[in-house]
Amino acid sequence: MAELDYNGKKIQTDDEGYLQNLGDWDKGLAEALAKTENVELTEKHWKLIEWIRNYFQQFQVAPAIKSLTKEVMTLENLPDKKEANKFIYELFPEGPAKQLAKIAGLPKPTGCV
Amino acid sequence: MSEQEKTKVMFVCRTAPYGTVYEQEAIEAMVMFGAYEQDISVSFIGDGVFSLKKGQDTSLLGKKNFSMTYPILIDDFEISHIYVEKESLEERGMGVEDLITEVEIVDRNSLKQKMNEMKALLPF
Amino acid sequence: MKLGVLIKEGPYMHQAMDTAYNFIVAAMESGHEITGIFFYNDGVYNRCSTLEPPRDERNIMKLLSELELKGVRLIVCVAAGKRRGIVNQTVCKVEEISGLGQLLELCITSDRMITF
Repeated sequence: MAELDYNGKKIQTDDEGYLQNLGDWDKGLAEALAKTENVELTEKHWKLIEWIRNYFQQFQVAPAIKSLTKEVMTLENLPDKKEANKFIYELFPEGPAKQLAKIAGLPKPTGCV
Repeated sequence: MSEQEKTKVMFVCRTAPYGTVYEQEAIEAMVMFGAYEQDISVSFIGDGVFSLKKGQDTSLLGKKNFSMTYPILIDDFEISHIYVEKESLEERGMGVEDLITEVEIVDRNSLKQKMNEMKALLPF
Repeated sequence: MKLGVLIKEGPYMHQAMDTAYNFIVAAMESGHEITGIFFYNDGVYNRCSTLEPPRDERNIMKLLSELELKGVRLIVCVAAGKRRGIVNQTVCKVEEISGLGQLLELCITSDRMITF
């Protein structure tokens, strides 16, 4: 159990920095979470954060990497998966499963692989 | 990987979505298995067919609504087939129009044959 | 024959683990190979290190550890375990904790999967 200081509040996270209470999430907290990952959020990051949050809300599970890749190809007009993956890793250098999920306030991937 | 080299595994969902955690943990396994490039199918028999019923609302139960997840299993999680046993639906007064997603309705005999083609069955 | 085993129920409340244990012992005596036992759902409780049944009762946790000494691989699902508090500090052996991919691996490498 750890804590993150945000607007004078203590937000509970697990040892790896994922939110304990998903309801705590808001856009400002996303910025704070991004800082812990050394990620500076741009318009491009926000589009994916919004997409993954909507996906999770609608379908109740985090998307497979392939769905993220497909979404990025559409959003950014990229020709193939390779380019899309490159794009994703430029935004989230330590991997989308870890960083995008954390910043977007999704639960930690169950680590079942 | 060629089709012949893939291992055929079928989840057999037999329990209703409420009352136990079987449905939830089965679906967690389904979305995980999809990533391994095998031939994974899902079948619903007995009370398992209730999992696919339209109009579920789990908010008062403090539980996630996994009926929203079944419609994307094939497209997003590489599940090959979703079968529903015809007799199980009928016995519960249900029909195709009650189901949240498009599935393959098969009768008991054909489902039995499909099960026989599997390397492994995982009942939940 | 190579047999994989999936355990979905916890100890004592259900007979599943006892039946599975007897099945596994009989199968091994008949010369079959057990490719592994995967603990899922409440099955993960069978590997809880703090189980302490009365001395005059069978100790399921110990029976399983004996199977492990005979070379049977025991695998506790990390996700099902976390949900129930069976984690590094409470599992019999930390090395037994692994992912659902191992269940699929058992399906691939076994001639039959048997679920209890």
